[in-house]
Amino acid sequence: MEFSVKKFDLLEELSLTQGVVERKTTIPILSNLLCEAKGNRLTITATDLELSIRTGCEAKVKKEGSGTIPAKKLLELVRLLPEEEIRFKLLENHWVEIVCDRKKYKMVGMSKDNFPALPAFPHPLVTIPAKVLSSLIARTQFAISMEESRYTLNGGLLILKPDLLAMVATDGHRLALVETDHKLAGLNSEARVLVPKKAMVEVQRLAANAGEDAQIEFARDDNHLFFQVGPRLLISRMLTGQFPNYEAVLPRENKKTVVLERNELNDAVRRVSQLADQRSHVVKFAVATDGVEISASSPEYGEAKETIDKEYKGDPLSIGFNAQYLLDFLSAAAEGPISIELKDEQSAGQMRPLADDQYRYRYVIMPMRI
Amino acid sequence: MPKLARFRAKHNATGSVPAAAPAAHASSTSFDSSCSILHVDMDAFFVSVELLAHPELRGRPVVVGGQPDQRGVVSAASYEARQYGIHSAMPLRTAGRLCPHAVFLDGHHDLYAEWSDRIAALLAKYSPVVEMVSIDEAYLDLAGTQRLHGPPLAAAHELLSETWETTHLPCSAGLARTRLVAKVASDQAKPRGLLWVPAGSEAAFLAGLGVRKIPGIGKVTEAALKSLGIETVRQLAQVSQEKLEEVFGQWGTALYRKARGEDSYEFLVDAEPKSISNNHTFGYDTDDRAALAATLSHLCQKAAKRLREAGLDARTLTLTIRYAGFHTTTRSKTLAEPTDLDAAILGAIQQLFAQHWDQRRKIRLLGVELSSLSHGAKQLDLLDGSRREKLERLTRATDRLRDRFGFSKVQFGGSLRSDESE
Repeated sequence: MEFSVKKFDLLEELSLTQGVVERKTTIPILSNLLCEAKGNRLTITATDLELSIRTGCEAKVKKEGSGTIPAKKLLELVRLLPEEEIRFKLLENHWVEIVCDRKKYKMVGMSKDNFPALPAFPHPLVTIPAKVLSSLIARTQFAISMEESRYTLNGGLLILKPDLLAMVATDGHRLALVETDHKLAGLNSEARVLVPKKAMVEVQRLAANAGEDAQIEFARDDNHLFFQVGPRLLISRMLTGQFPNYEAVLPRENKKTVVLERNELNDAVRRVSQLADQRSHVVKFAVATDGVEISASSPEYGEAKETIDKEYKGDPLSIGFNAQYLLDFLSAAAEGPISIELKDEQSAGQMRPLADDQYRYRYVIMPMRI
Repeated sequence: MPKLARFRAKHNATGSVPAAAPAAHASSTSFDSSCSILHVDMDAFFVSVELLAHPELRGRPVVVGGQPDQRGVVSAASYEARQYGIHSAMPLRTAGRLCPHAVFLDGHHDLYAEWSDRIAALLAKYSPVVEMVSIDEAYLDLAGTQRLHGPPLAAAHELLSETWETTHLPCSAGLARTRLVAKVASDQAKPRGLLWVPAGSEAAFLAGLGVRKIPGIGKVTEAALKSLGIETVRQLAQVSQEKLEEVFGQWGTALYRKARGEDSYEFLVDAEPKSISNNHTFGYDTDDRAALAATLSHLCQKAAKRLREAGLDARTLTLTIRYAGFHTTTRSKTLAEPTDLDAAILGAIQQLFAQHWDQRRKIRLLGVELSSLSHGAKQLDLLDGSRREKLERLTRATDRLRDRFGFSKVQFGGSLRSDESE
């Protein structure tokens, strides 16, 4: 293997692999990148066995072939090199020589034969605009559970229907559901796939990198999900197991409704939560005819109370929420009015941004018992 | 809020309380109102409680903790037994050797806790500032109670009398300006005495004592001091602060102050426990899966009940496995959210046990510790809210039954096969 690439091109692709390469791995080959030079192209592959990415850039290939290079070290070195052509050459014993101008490095690689094989991309199921998928992810990702024992909650459920795309995520305390009308050509029936959180993060990164009008070709086989974004391919192992029946927990009788501006609400919750109990982060909403009072107190730091004047005609209600859960939603929600729909102090509340015309977005949040 | 009972302290009064005797070195007899800290300590508490049920054993050497052929240590020894050299924390076998004719009784910790709570309630009548530092020991600040109970010395006397009359459990007390001196004084007053160390006479009172009498000075410090030629508090008080700090660092500063009867404690009346733990030492090392599982279940239920009594939730659960040969493994798990439910705690502890028990080895002791304790707002569950609610109702009902009929009357099925549980 012998080739040369432009530093700028290589650095961009290397950066995109970093989310996939495991920092702590017990399998040494997984901290390496597989580099393959063929035709006029360099292909770079990284995997942690759960998630894999295959990307690449233009290269002047002098001798076709492949080798592996430690991923982190390569990125750090390339980042420090000047904006010039970088030449790579595979030496004996899997070493790789890297030359840039009069600077010369040799890195210890490993045999490419040990690098895991990636599953082949099957026939694509649908094509989704990158921007749409990215928006679904941004509105749900934060609600995914970090608790490893509840592994079916460690991802988002992507729902594909012939004329609708939806994504839902929950950690058992709150649930984010977003839908958008979109014709999915070639899809005849509903498909549901559970996408691991790490894959969602990477899809978003690839989508952001691919530009406004990019399309994502989505495919799956029995165990894997495939996201082809332009020349880059992300492959994720599918999360198996039963995602909870989220439809059953969507509130239906939340008739106590008050509408607040997102920014006003967000700022108030952020300020009040400064003085919330440090462990529970609970803030209290007291909704009455003269408005909404948001308050919190902490035995160590003191107390906070803010009132937002707002018309409200229902019975007064006082309910506690985890401030962080509110802020997670408010920063993902579109600007403008937010409808807060409550039932009683023990039942789930629902929040919906009213000014989001493209996405139907609802956030269901269980209160805290104060 | 944690109940007072959580920090059980004792104070005991003696029969018709012997008149309080001011320490011999009192330099002034006018009562200084700053001298208001009372340390109350039950005399041979566990033994005293046992004697309530076995009055015929009075005057005989009695050891509480188990039988002399069993593993385990002495929890308490009567004054008669102490004459044979028996003391708390001594192996039962050693105690049996020292005094073969002593009466050995098994411990009844639930009973001691009950009496401890009663005494705590009694103490609370004498001052709003009561800190129970253990099951049989408490500090009170009598400052500001003068109009209700008279001068501190009179109040202390009355407190001891009332304790004896209502419980028939003996106790001793020390009254002084600082907690340290009060504690040393109650120790000197034992059994069934009250010792007052007037303000200003602390140094003189302490001077004649061995350094080991000062709370905080244990075997190690004692030996270190001895190598410097220091054996009494008087000798310690003559050493300069610089010298002590040079030898002991920060501990030297503390020693300098302690030798003068000063301490820096403040009352922790509202303090919450930092952790709650229950351990069980098996009579014989075991690898019987059923017995181990049953013991874990029992320990979890015990600890969880104490957690609920204190009104707290725990987030970190720690399992201790001590193998035969004393090799000890502790493993912790932090839950996503705090809980006070038996089932949640047991589930996590069982998982830790399954992951970390080295099955080739027999187990001597199992322990369960709950920490990262919190109270207050509780996050409700979206997905299995009704299941949790049922568990909470079940737990509340179980607790009520246990409060009425005793802990062991209601158990999870899992703990029933235990031959070891109390």
